[in-house]
Amino acid sequence: MTARISIQHVGMALVAIALVIAPFALAGQDYVLRLLTMAATYAIAVYGFNIILGLTGQLSLAHGGFFGIGIYVVGLLTTDHGWSFWSAFLAAIIVTAVTGFACGVVALRTRQEYFAIFTMAVGFIIFLILSRWESVTHGMSGISGIPFPEGFGIIDFSEPIAMYFLVLLFLAGAAYITYAIRRSGVGRTLIAIRTSEDLANSIGVNVGLNKQLAFAASTTFAGVAGGLFAAVQGFVGPSSASVNLTFELLMFILVGGLGTVMGPIVGSFVVTFLFETFQDFQSYRFIVLGPVIIALVIFAPRGIVGYLNAYVARRRAKRARRQMAPQAAASETKEVS
Amino acid sequence: MGASTTTRTLRTLAAAVCGGTLVALAACGGGTASSGEGGTIVIGYSGPLSGGAAAYGENIQVGMQMAVDDLNELGVTVDGGEYTVELNSLDDMYQPNTAATNAQRLAEQDDAAVIFVPHSGGIQAAQELNSGRSEFLLGAYSSDPAILETDNPLTMMVPPSFKSYSAPFVEKLKTDGVEKLGLLGTASEYGQSWTSLVSEEWESQDGEVLTDNSIDYSTVSDFAGPVSRTLSEEPDVIFLGGPSQPTALIIEEARGQGYEGSFLIMDQAKFEEMELFTDPENLNDSIGVVPVREYEDPGTEAFVSAFDELVDGARPATSEVSLHYQSVALSVKAMEVAGTIDDPQAIRDAIGDAAGQVDEQFHVSGFPTEVTDAGHLRNEDFQAAYRNSDGEYEFLPIEHAED
Amino acid sequence: MTLFIQQLFNGLALGGVYCLAAIGLTLVFGVLRIPNLAHGSLYMLGAYVTYFFLTAVGVPYVAAIGLAAIVLAVVGILLERLVFHPLRKSPHTHHMIAAVGAMFFFQAVAQVIWGADFRRMESPFEGTLSIGGAQISWQRIIIILTAVAVLALLTWFIKRSIHGQTIEAVEQDRTGASLAGISPNTVSMLTFALAAALATIAAGLVAPINLLSPTMGAALDLKIFAIIILGGLGSIPGAIVGGFLLALAEVMTSTYVSSAAGEAIAFVVLVAVLAVRPTGLFAKAVQR
Repeated sequence: MTARISIQHVGMALVAIALVIAPFALAGQDYVLRLLTMAATYAIAVYGFNIILGLTGQLSLAHGGFFGIGIYVVGLLTTDHGWSFWSAFLAAIIVTAVTGFACGVVALRTRQEYFAIFTMAVGFIIFLILSRWESVTHGMSGISGIPFPEGFGIIDFSEPIAMYFLVLLFLAGAAYITYAIRRSGVGRTLIAIRTSEDLANSIGVNVGLNKQLAFAASTTFAGVAGGLFAAVQGFVGPSSASVNLTFELLMFILVGGLGTVMGPIVGSFVVTFLFETFQDFQSYRFIVLGPVIIALVIFAPRGIVGYLNAYVARRRAKRARRQMAPQAAASETKEVS
Repeated sequence: MGASTTTRTLRTLAAAVCGGTLVALAACGGGTASSGEGGTIVIGYSGPLSGGAAAYGENIQVGMQMAVDDLNELGVTVDGGEYTVELNSLDDMYQPNTAATNAQRLAEQDDAAVIFVPHSGGIQAAQELNSGRSEFLLGAYSSDPAILETDNPLTMMVPPSFKSYSAPFVEKLKTDGVEKLGLLGTASEYGQSWTSLVSEEWESQDGEVLTDNSIDYSTVSDFAGPVSRTLSEEPDVIFLGGPSQPTALIIEEARGQGYEGSFLIMDQAKFEEMELFTDPENLNDSIGVVPVREYEDPGTEAFVSAFDELVDGARPATSEVSLHYQSVALSVKAMEVAGTIDDPQAIRDAIGDAAGQVDEQFHVSGFPTEVTDAGHLRNEDFQAAYRNSDGEYEFLPIEHAED
Repeated sequence: MTLFIQQLFNGLALGGVYCLAAIGLTLVFGVLRIPNLAHGSLYMLGAYVTYFFLTAVGVPYVAAIGLAAIVLAVVGILLERLVFHPLRKSPHTHHMIAAVGAMFFFQAVAQVIWGADFRRMESPFEGTLSIGGAQISWQRIIIILTAVAVLALLTWFIKRSIHGQTIEAVEQDRTGASLAGISPNTVSMLTFALAAALATIAAGLVAPINLLSPTMGAALDLKIFAIIILGGLGSIPGAIVGGFLLALAEVMTSTYVSSAAGEAIAFVVLVAVLAVRPTGLFAKAVQR
């Protein structure tokens, strides 16, 4: 048991180390660092997706919209209203949490596909507001000159590497929250809802409130990611909040592995890298990428992490059978959620 | 899907995947050799090569490739070394942040000193980079003056600012008895800025501006509704414009519903393209930008027919094609003058001198005769085109607006 | 008043197009429970194939639409076999992503074959008709009439013909239908073929009043999803009512409020309706 957990932590540490040393290994490669920063930013939003979709089983297609709210709260407050980045960032978190919760009150009355399309409409309305309410959002012209976060002491966020670590810090936070939720009673409650709402209800789970909170948590993650995105980019337009972004994020999480702790990170980095590689095909790239996406969902529906998961589980089950069968099997069932 | 813990090996494997990705990224980062001693000059381009604006992006790509081919035929010599010019294009689907990523990739991996981006969102996103992080000269193709307001020292604004058009356009059409202006532009960044500019100008000349019926030309399934609404207020002049083809369709719809007034067409729509999409008579009595074929520059004729041959007569050469053709040649000449292929600032500083030395075959549609301090390429014989009621083009000289 | 009549007809024509496109989508949903985000790209391909028959082959307009509908029916079947059939046991998130992949693919294919630039399709029905001072083009009247005729035929097909009845049977009770000897595979393919053919008819009708481009379907996608949700997923009468309702709301809002509001109204109506009735206007027994 002890050994098992420590090895597991070694695995996570390896990912962390890879992410931490990457910028030093890539000294002078600002472009690659930019890709890493972008992937990490998106990964934070994907963690939000993971809570509502991966754990709770609700497909929310408004995610790109809430990402956009995060972007615009930070962008508009720092440029037009002279706020500091940190206060604007805090505002973005509060605004996305509150609008997310309010939106959830109505959205979560619907179920399954209705919920999916309903939230898609919400996402699109958010996009329309951002792109057409010119007097407040500058419409299609976007916001330019968004400042970098104010640094502390020797930390200067206009350095790409500092910005990368800032994003990474929030990414680690998102991963940790997911990890903690999964291990806590909250996680079990959410998974019970995913499995069957009626069943969860009958065993005394407050399904409505829990879904509500999961939804608000997921939009808050999107808001955090959006706020960081604004600072990383410096210039943003409404297209950063389009419905397409939602599908991109959805792709990240499916490739990484729904409901897993490491899935969002793995998916975001792998797909970002994949898309960038296919750039060389220019207008032909989607002829290749389209079928690649389809093949991924058909042949690896559980995503990279989910697939590896199953593989490890099978191997361990085999080994467990060979050794002290009853004891190992018991711990197995306990741990595989 | 149990993740929480089946996962120790799995996490190690996930780490391996992550690490592998990073290594691969690093490898692809470190792989390119830097030019410098000679050989290749890379011109970068990030534009929409897929998605809704792909036609626009591909057109520009053709114009740039034509310039590259012609330059290689003539031979390029920088600081005594012979060079071949090469165009590297990346797709950004009109997304600002993708354009910026692409620009950084082109600058760092392909060592492109000059990078062209043809949309104002992408330009502004790229400007956040070339003011310190990555060094490249930005060939900015957007007539939105906002791209100069950022005071970016490494920007070269290619087309005329649309601010220059609104006053003369309004003056030409707002004759006696003409009072009401209908607004039917496209709801893009560009259309929105144009709409407010034209409205202001019209009001400053004591005209009445009607309801703003801007629609997104790319998402509306039927233009009849917005057109009917605009016509119901009985405008004397209608401002409109977006991509040429839907613009032509809206004009046709308006004429079909009985509109007889004039059109004030924003610079994104081109007469030569609209003529192919609707009965050209519908376009009579409107003002817009000068069709490329109407220029009488030394290279115009050869360029128009070369483009025609290249695309099999499928579409006419428009100013986004010709202006990119010109500016690629100008950028490379600036490298020759500056004696460097990788110092963006030196290249930028040399553009003024280079403008007078570019081979005449590259003078197609108002070759720049001056470069402003802010980096705006300008031609002193600047004109607008009015298509009169007989379908003839009349040209009126206009002044460049202050940047 | 003239303006109202004008916009009424514009709205009806738009509604006809929305209906034809939305019915295919709702059928696929009702039978297979697949939210097919690639439906808009089938519509787009339908327009291009019609264009191909019209210009490159040179058959008359109506025949071109018919031939294109057949071609697209085959494309629909292939889509079902190659993409959605292997996913039949997966949750709908996977269908959605696979559909997005298919959408990317179709758009790229159209761009490679026909180019990225806009195309214009000519219709033999030219000129306008004057009704109460309003000028309505013949093409729009044709759209309204065809939509009504096709919808009537479709209703007949589903209620009266053997093949159509199998669709309805599966829609109502999948297990029961297969016990009764109806092959779900055949029905799936039939449904996809029908949906793609209907989308093609819609596209062939609307193409002459708009332009062809590889992204023409993407703009429609969101709207027809709003329509079928509004009407109730899987409900054909719901899709018809929803289609006309949203089209009229869109046209009238942009006329009497503002064009930006017109763009948003479809989604605002959707959100408002679902807030009150979470299962749409014509809730059917699909909510299992």
